[in-house]
Amino acid sequence: MLSLCLESRLDELQRLEAAVENLGEQEQWPPNLLYQAKLVLEEVIVNIVNYGYEQREGYKIDVDLISEPDTLTIKIADDGRAFDPLSQAPTPDVDANLEDRPIGGLGVYLVQTLMDEAHYRREQDRNHLTLIKRRDG
Amino acid sequence: MEINTEREGTLLVARAGGRLDSINAREFDDALKSAISDSDQVLIMDLEKVSYVSSAGLRVILLTAKTLQQRSAKLLICSLAEPIREVFEISGFDKIIPIHANLGEAKASIG
Repeated sequence: MLSLCLESRLDELQRLEAAVENLGEQEQWPPNLLYQAKLVLEEVIVNIVNYGYEQREGYKIDVDLISEPDTLTIKIADDGRAFDPLSQAPTPDVDANLEDRPIGGLGVYLVQTLMDEAHYRREQDRNHLTLIKRRDG
Repeated sequence: MEINTEREGTLLVARAGGRLDSINAREFDDALKSAISDSDQVLIMDLEKVSYVSSAGLRVILLTAKTLQQRSAKLLICSLAEPIREVFEISGFDKIIPIHANLGEAKASIG
């Protein structure tokens, strides 16, 4: 179990990463799970800082990780503007050729693909994102 | 962000290290831009020493591939760690950028 309250700045990712590595070590996560957890957290938090808070500092992002033998649950909450990354972000065309391939849009797509479940809700003026990864090997 | 480069004729091998993430993506982009010269026809990006790539790093790689393609030059990538390869595959990058197991194979593919 890990609970962190981050400031709305990208350099907070370093503090988060160190804490996640610690938890992964304690809970004996396989290397892939650690990589995936760090990646989805970076992608979500970059979105919140850049779009939710429009790069304004002085706001908070709550991050909770619950590591159980069969699942990892990641909860991220912020009080930035209402934004559901899961339904509002365009899906990138990953089959396009190099010339036509648009830049960007991969972050949320990676989150949705790497996690088994992703849920968003807006509650009491806060965005809540819950990500679940099953540890099936 | 440091990139070691080695030039053999019109081939440029660029070895990156560390993390390609949202914190240092711009630095990575700048380092690549200053390393690549207009006469380079093939760039092999050797990512053996890279431990982590997020979408911010992928963005720089895609931009580099597009820029090279515009002047009929090519980007190849080699030596991806397993979780990074997964991220490349999910993103469909393996369909638009040739990915090789190691530098030797990447060089051999140029012919």
